[in-house]
Amino acid sequence: MRIGILSFAHLHAESYLGALLAMPDVTVVGIADDNAERGRYFAGQFGVTWFESYAALLAEKPDAVIVCSENANHRPLVEMAAAAGAHVLCEKPLATTVEDARAIVEVCQQYGVQLMTAFPMRFSSPALEVKKLMASGGLGRIYGVNATNQGALPEFHQAENLPFLKRDWFVDKALAGGGALADHIVHLADLLRWYLGEEVTEVYAASNTILHGGRVSVETGGLVMLTFESGAFASVDCSWSKPAYYPTWGGLALEVVAEGGLVTMDAFKQVMTVYSHSAGRPRYAWWGSDANAGMLREFIAACGENRTPAVTGADGLRAVEIVAAAYESVESGDAVRVG
Amino acid sequence: MLKVGLVGSGFMGSTHAAGWAQTPAQFVGICSADTARAGKLAAQYGTQVYNSYEALLDAVDVVDICTPTHLHHEMTLQAARAGKHVICEKPLARTPAQGREMIAACEAADVKLLVAQVVRFFPEYAAAKGIVERGEIGKVAVVRLTRCAYQPKLAADNWFLDPAKSGGMMLDLMCHDFDYARWIAGDVDSVYARSVRSADPTAPEDYSIAILRHTSGALSNVEGAWAYPPPMFRTALEIAGDAGLIEHPAGSSTPLGIHLKAKAGGDAPDVGLPASPLAEDPYTTQLKHFYNILTGAETTPRVTAQDGLAAVQIAHAAMESARSGRPVRLSEVQ
Repeated sequence: MRIGILSFAHLHAESYLGALLAMPDVTVVGIADDNAERGRYFAGQFGVTWFESYAALLAEKPDAVIVCSENANHRPLVEMAAAAGAHVLCEKPLATTVEDARAIVEVCQQYGVQLMTAFPMRFSSPALEVKKLMASGGLGRIYGVNATNQGALPEFHQAENLPFLKRDWFVDKALAGGGALADHIVHLADLLRWYLGEEVTEVYAASNTILHGGRVSVETGGLVMLTFESGAFASVDCSWSKPAYYPTWGGLALEVVAEGGLVTMDAFKQVMTVYSHSAGRPRYAWWGSDANAGMLREFIAACGENRTPAVTGADGLRAVEIVAAAYESVESGDAVRVG
Repeated sequence: MLKVGLVGSGFMGSTHAAGWAQTPAQFVGICSADTARAGKLAAQYGTQVYNSYEALLDAVDVVDICTPTHLHHEMTLQAARAGKHVICEKPLARTPAQGREMIAACEAADVKLLVAQVVRFFPEYAAAKGIVERGEIGKVAVVRLTRCAYQPKLAADNWFLDPAKSGGMMLDLMCHDFDYARWIAGDVDSVYARSVRSADPTAPEDYSIAILRHTSGALSNVEGAWAYPPPMFRTALEIAGDAGLIEHPAGSSTPLGIHLKAKAGGDAPDVGLPASPLAEDPYTTQLKHFYNILTGAETTPRVTAQDGLAAVQIAHAAMESARSGRPVRLSEVQ
């Protein structure tokens, strides 16, 4: 399987590339990035080929590509990749508008390439245990979920203090599609749709700009209530409320209250706390399984077998619809029907 | 010396009886519909049983009302008419209208009305309030509060499960965190809530999440349950500000791990309580503070009757939102 990465705008590109390089059945064709400095930097870091244009990488006829650009640029890159006959794993959120997300799904259908949305939480070992428990009927009816996917301000997400590594597009409404709502609703929206096997029917959202208020213009705090077909409800805290000096980037956790009892899941709890003189502050060191690697394995298997991946483009589209409804709710102050 | 009378001998009545014993107050007597239980408490704390509320009121300076919620209103009005100060268990009243009448009656009679929103006296909640007040985490942005337990058990007359009497979980339990959210982030503009009646479709809501929009722009996520499997009881708090973050997840500060082998016939207590040993329990801290307010030794109550009323209003807005499916403004439940 020959795979390329289109853009290193999203920090997940680094972990995807690391995981791909560790897979013996994968050949990394290379990386392309419209930010030449950044592209060369990561090509050097990982010892892979850098292409100065996306077209140049696609001309190498990769079997598949991973799109890790700014959210608003997913659509043109997916369109190019699909036209070049490459299967696509697209970073979340699939797009910044419902229209773009739909176009992404359609263009992949049109060119007969597989499309997977990068929702690695479906491959998180603790998250999978909850799915198993629910699927076995062990919880009975699900009543409600109290969930969090909080993080630090994403522009802090950079390993080294190099200007071209700045991820400030995350707080640019035009490129990211918004702030905390656009960034952190989709993982839980997707996970909960999958858990419940139901669609969201109604969305209520409230947001504010208190955190990092002087620094960014997009919303940084957000609480969202999703209501599902069965009446089950889920509150999602998508705030960028973790300080820059927090021991880790953030987290994703949920508590499910069900007929059969209570289940709590913290997907990023498999850590130990490290106090190092050199760091000057505590750090969580992760020792759990790599959800990204599980997701990439599924993508590669689906491409190899030319079958629909476990997480589809339609799943990505549904999540984008939920985010759009959340923004509509913030605007109107009312709950918004979906679907 | 301040003469105190207690009405009610249930879980909170007995908790307060123990608290009063730790104050300089003269614990004059107990009045309760359950005279046997009242007799036991009276014997334990060296006080006497009064067979009528009127007789108890005659004998005291302050009455501590620990009866089911729907009785708070009438008992407070009676005390005010008798010119006695009132300490009232939370929630202040079954409805906002009753709460307002209680406040007006006590003001007219020039007696104090203190509401036992005891969470403000729990040291971890008080400590978090202090951290916020000192500006350590800056302007409050997002507050997360959880208070989840199992269905309250009572051998007879389980008034908790009768919405007409208790208002249900969203009033009885969530009023703690509605009050605390307001203490931390200020007045509330609107509430959006979802809830479920998991135990019985005719019983009150027993699991709910409410999203509060505060006037300050802050948001609160308040979760409450009587739907946990017994004997689980969890509370959690998190306050994110523009200059910092306070995290206190459920169970994170439990100092003891006591895992004894089960004894035959063992069962959970009637109402779940968090287990964190302290030199002084928060109910006693609260009653000592109220004692000082009543004697004038302290002048500013940590929680006012208006605060208690606001918590009842937020709970009613949340219940109305859960019922109607739309966000409810506080002005709609005045």
